[in-house]
Amino acid sequence: MLSIRGLHVRLSRDGRANTVLDGVDLDLAPGEVVALVGESGSGKSTIGLALQGLLPAESQPEISGSIRLSKHEIVGAKAGELRQVRRDLIRSVPQDPMGALNPTMSIGRQMAETGLSPAEVLDWLGRVGLPDPRRIAADMPHRLSGGQRQRVLIAMSMAAKPRVLVADEPTTALDVTVQAQILTLLTDLAREQGTAILFITHDLAVAAELSNRVMVLFGGRVAELGETRAVVKAPAHPYAAGLLSARFDLSSDRGRQLSTLSTERGRTRIEGPHCNYVARCPISTPECSQRRPDLALREDGRRAACFNSDKVPDLLSSARAAPAWPEAIGGNANALELFRIHKSFAGRRKGLFGAKARTRVLSGVDLRIGLGECVALVGESGSGKSTLLRIAAGLVEQDEGDVSWFGGIPPQVVFQDAVAALTPWLTVGEQIGDRLRPLNVSKAEQQRRVAEALELVGIDPALSGALPAELSGGQCQRVTVARAVVVPPKLLLCDEPISAMDVSLAAQTLNLLGTLRRQMGMGMLFVTHDLAAARLIADRIAVLEKGQLVEIGEPDQIISDPQAPYTRTLVSAVPRLVTEEASA
Amino acid sequence: MAPYLIKRIAGLAAVLLVMSFIVFCLQSIIPADPARSLVGPSAPQETVERLREEMGLNDPLLVQYGHFVSRLVEGDLGTSIRTRQPIAEDVLRYGPATLELILAAMVLGTALAFILAFAQATLARSGAIRVGMLTLGSVPIFLTALLLAYFLWFKLGWFPGSGRIDIRRFSGPTGFFVLDGLLLGRPEVTLGALRHLFLPALALSVPIAISVGRSLSSALVDVMRQPYIRTARGKGLSAGHIFLRHGLRNAASAPLAMLGLQVGLMFGNLLIVERVFAWPGLGLYTVQSFATSDLPAILGVALVFGAFYILVTMLVEIAQSLADPRIAL
Repeated sequence: MLSIRGLHVRLSRDGRANTVLDGVDLDLAPGEVVALVGESGSGKSTIGLALQGLLPAESQPEISGSIRLSKHEIVGAKAGELRQVRRDLIRSVPQDPMGALNPTMSIGRQMAETGLSPAEVLDWLGRVGLPDPRRIAADMPHRLSGGQRQRVLIAMSMAAKPRVLVADEPTTALDVTVQAQILTLLTDLAREQGTAILFITHDLAVAAELSNRVMVLFGGRVAELGETRAVVKAPAHPYAAGLLSARFDLSSDRGRQLSTLSTERGRTRIEGPHCNYVARCPISTPECSQRRPDLALREDGRRAACFNSDKVPDLLSSARAAPAWPEAIGGNANALELFRIHKSFAGRRKGLFGAKARTRVLSGVDLRIGLGECVALVGESGSGKSTLLRIAAGLVEQDEGDVSWFGGIPPQVVFQDAVAALTPWLTVGEQIGDRLRPLNVSKAEQQRRVAEALELVGIDPALSGALPAELSGGQCQRVTVARAVVVPPKLLLCDEPISAMDVSLAAQTLNLLGTLRRQMGMGMLFVTHDLAAARLIADRIAVLEKGQLVEIGEPDQIISDPQAPYTRTLVSAVPRLVTEEASA
Repeated sequence: MAPYLIKRIAGLAAVLLVMSFIVFCLQSIIPADPARSLVGPSAPQETVERLREEMGLNDPLLVQYGHFVSRLVEGDLGTSIRTRQPIAEDVLRYGPATLELILAAMVLGTALAFILAFAQATLARSGAIRVGMLTLGSVPIFLTALLLAYFLWFKLGWFPGSGRIDIRRFSGPTGFFVLDGLLLGRPEVTLGALRHLFLPALALSVPIAISVGRSLSSALVDVMRQPYIRTARGKGLSAGHIFLRHGLRNAASAPLAMLGLQVGLMFGNLLIVERVFAWPGLGLYTVQSFATSDLPAILGVALVFGAFYILVTMLVEIAQSLADPRIAL
């Protein structure tokens, strides 16, 4: 039904054209679910946009190849034909539902724009499980939660009964507890209407749960294509193997570090007559840099673009022997002590003379973290975990209660968005060196310690003269860690440092943080909504719900026997890789 | 909405009180003696003294201010030295002409702003348009007004260049001649009034068009990149529909604020433009009051414009909240 042949896309950024897709072939049958898996920059989202003819005009897209759907050729189609295709045949569900609805138009009107009658609008709002469709239809988008908005967007798309639905990471921006419901809703509706889904994700486990087939993309080329179950069980491309071995869930081994097959990514060279994974590949041979491997059909019906795919199984078993964590140094002292922390924020004034309503964010939180110990703080958005971290950091003043740090030394913070946390016009070395300035060390000593810190986080000290924009997102996160530890702190606070990362980067970052805190004897507070990451990194997990600590304890104890209802939802929300024993 | 209005009207009163205090202080500090200027330089000192006593000018300042405010509340802005009329009456006489001019300039300026913004968004040579806007924006208003008068009136004679209307001693029920012509069933009045309005309104609209146009076009560029525009395109809607229904309203907030600011600050330009085009409004009235050091009149008009500015700001906020439901008043 949908057939993509030899799709090449070049997009311009800052005046330079880059190849984003380099010869992609894919067929999609009615009702089929194909997962598109790859890291950011692999070109997976570009495929989705190209299908709808929605590549941003400002990046001056150059497209060649063919995308055929029913009778339509989408590449090079006229604007009118493209509009018809978008209205009737291909719809999409976006990554971030918060921005994807027009804030100044009611839900009902936005639904009805493509010709739905008011009755149909209400019917569809009901079908996607929204309570009180009549009220929702009259409401403005900002009054709905993220999950509700995503339901509206799903209704909007599925009401057109499209042949193909492009779902670009439709749940990454949502709370873990609603992710599963949204995915089920999406696949159920698609099955009812025979809609094929192109499901874009970076998580192989989510792909494995939903899709019939999976296409692994790397650097704009297809690395592997085949039945999802077979690929997850025994990948034939080293990149797919890397993705698979780096992912972690509630059954990963806590005693050792996570395995990371591929090396730190630099700028991937995409074009050229060579395998574009060669720079990161642990099993590359000279042939790989001289010839581009075809997407060869294998005996088991799968396709993989690798000359050495027979070596991939060995690679996977070697990955299981990741190094153990170093011995933690520490002591009995507390790195952080929070005592009965209360905090509330002022809301809107009620009426003309009424008092301002106050929203309680934290009520009576007690928490201690020892030197060298890591406590993971989990909770859904709005539970107050970020506020607690900011209070622990001294960035926000608590209303009541006490915060004390070991020796009165202020903690360091690692934020979620590393790129935003670095000053764009200062070199990496200058930003790390800034923290040494109060110590009045000599210039040479300063340079030596900056280099040492960079080496500690696994970055070539030669990069100390680089600006943040010249580094990848993962490297930026390492730089913020280096900045935090160049003067060893006694407490490191991490605010969702891995939630925007794909699996291999997340694994590398967890390894780095887990090693550093043990070696340096730092206490660490690790805020996350990912229970699997919390279990791996932390000695204890604390669960925050509506501003109160409802549970705290050993990770495996909390996960095997969750007491609070919210903890139970969290545990069941972690996607697991469903496959028969993959190690073999 | 109701609490918002109450709050704003209370605010208006507070601001007016502060302004009245400033105006009062200015009146008391400036060495010119209102009694002396009322009776003229040749009158004997006793007459001046008697008048000072009558006018309460010898009372303590606080008492004088009390009188001043209580008169203000009754709508008494004092008496003009030049026209010997109550200033409130003068304001009512010349106000409609100025208000009509402001409204015309607003409509014209907004229309031009739209044209500029669209041209910048759609035409290939948007750089040239930007340079043109910059040049036009850098020309001071007295030059624009004089050039318009010189070419379109004096040289070409396309539009009249002075006064509000050609008919002598016309007066209508509202004082807005464009409206009066329609109310009285005399289209030639409306047409004539519009022709007279054109040049001064155009001169006043240039700064509005440029500032509102620039803020509209940058807001549109930003809005058209938002994910909800991609959602709308993904639904297969036409470009025009997306622009009008999804783009424009979301881009309205900043240009509305800019429009309010420009209209509120138009007073200075009104003085020049009304003078150049002999427009019988509050601007010309103020210019003439300056010429005769008619301080009470100048301060009275300043008070009226202060109130007008606050009113415009309020209307802008209401318009913004109508455009964007997330802005709650």
